[in-house]
Amino acid sequence: MNANTTIFDPQGTPRLLGPELASGGEGRVFPLHEYPDLLIKRYHPEVLAKRGPELRSKTEVMVTLKERFRSHPVSWPLLSVFDEQRQWVGYTMRRAQGVPMFRLAHAMAYVKSFPSLDRNQVVAYLRSLLAALNGLHRHGVRVGDYNLNNILCQPGSAAISLIDCDSYQLKVAGQFFPCPVGSPDMTPKEQHGRAFSDIVRTEESERFSVAIVLFKCLMLGRHPYDIVGGDDPVNNLQAGRFAYGRGNTGVPKGPWFNIWSHMPHRLKEMFIHTFTVGADQPEARPSLNEWDLALRLYQVEMAKGWHECAIKPAQPKSREYRGSRSMAQA
Amino acid sequence: MSTTPLRLQDSSDLLDNPSTRCACMLVLDTSGSMAGAPVAELNAGLQGFIEAVRDDEIASYAIDLGIITAGGTVSEVLPFTSASAIDRHQPLQASGQTPLGGAVQLALDHLEARKAQYKANGVAYYQPWLVLISDGEPTDAWQQVAAQSRLLSEQRRLVVMPIGVQGANLSVLSQFSSRPAKQLSGLKFREFFEWLSASMSRVSSSNSTSASVSLPKTDSWDSV
Repeated sequence: MNANTTIFDPQGTPRLLGPELASGGEGRVFPLHEYPDLLIKRYHPEVLAKRGPELRSKTEVMVTLKERFRSHPVSWPLLSVFDEQRQWVGYTMRRAQGVPMFRLAHAMAYVKSFPSLDRNQVVAYLRSLLAALNGLHRHGVRVGDYNLNNILCQPGSAAISLIDCDSYQLKVAGQFFPCPVGSPDMTPKEQHGRAFSDIVRTEESERFSVAIVLFKCLMLGRHPYDIVGGDDPVNNLQAGRFAYGRGNTGVPKGPWFNIWSHMPHRLKEMFIHTFTVGADQPEARPSLNEWDLALRLYQVEMAKGWHECAIKPAQPKSREYRGSRSMAQA
Repeated sequence: MSTTPLRLQDSSDLLDNPSTRCACMLVLDTSGSMAGAPVAELNAGLQGFIEAVRDDEIASYAIDLGIITAGGTVSEVLPFTSASAIDRHQPLQASGQTPLGGAVQLALDHLEARKAQYKANGVAYYQPWLVLISDGEPTDAWQQVAAQSRLLSEQRRLVVMPIGVQGANLSVLSQFSSRPAKQLSGLKFREFFEWLSASMSRVSSSNSTSASVSLPKTDSWDSV
């Protein structure tokens, strides 16, 4: 049997794999030939050689928790899989549908991937994301590495799915498994300077990363700490240098200022606070529920015609501004 | 024919497409010894690369491709152009000596200029790439520019990838980078450029401009 086309389930039964779906730094993903809605993640041999035992223990703990996440929009590990020599090589998970959020939060790609996208739709996806994250947090799970390629959005609905879950941080039944990956421009300053596997992700660090995801999705993929004439985004992040808001220095030419101007006052204030004061002070960062409330009110206000719904508004917001008079006083 | 003067191109493409960029500069040895099969395979591989990057939607928005040749003279065959806007390249001819030092100098200048345009327009960018392919070694002054290129590579401000074709002086080519030069197996230019386009696809879909990207294995084209 070809090592690339067959894996073995925990009972030792061989299972034929379908054609490879994806290949990344850690491993390859295949559908099961029999049930294409089930995927296998098979780690690369060199990854198993270095980290096999720890990957296996984490996966096995995740598998014991799978019932908790059955109704969550998360491709949670379901079963371990083995090779011909009965060596552990990876796990199965439910196949998720959708287009990566990477293409939503992109200046060009959203046009083909999300036909007739508008801001209502973007906000709906973001609220679904916040609900999914709250679901994970309630169970002691933190995402850690917020990679927009691992959030799938269903075109035409508000649904999202989270994939590539084996990197999540778990704190459950007295056991702790870190999230060993991340990138400095998505990570708050208090966690810089150490290996990602040495960091403990907190509510506050999650809030910071999530705020960056929200900003990118509302601002055509722009990173909040990209400033014209400014430093590298990581340096700007550490210094809390944010281009939008007071003074608006460093906002680039193009649609960015228009888009920013059309956002509700409340949302803009939250972004400003998170990315200036919140860069240094974890406790100053709004919670996921506060973001969800602000986004819900944004939807209500768009429905009333108070805010532009187009992805790229043609003009900046006029002086006559109703956004600060919202339904709920902050 | 003298070297092409440095000119800043119109940067309106950065307004029309403000998505995150990766500047990819190819410096290609087109000296006399590359004539015949080597340059024919290089041309075929290059055409395959252009098509693959153009046909990958995300890469087509991200990749800005530039090509400079070193064959007799230094020549800018392609100023930085978005991958979405390149159809085919003019097949390269091979003759003359190998002014690689001058070619890399021009490449570094153009990379700096393109980065300056990104910054001026507030366009984010991934670490740029410089791919250097030669079947020999520079016949002009090269040590100073190699040191410059190696420093940028060490500082992670430029990915410098020297590739040696049969007959290349790998230890000289290695001096241009913090990573050692790789030996191309035979004339596997097509396989190399397939690997390069797959790498560009990975860079283009990378979630972060500050995270390192894991690249595909090179065993389809390099010789150990």
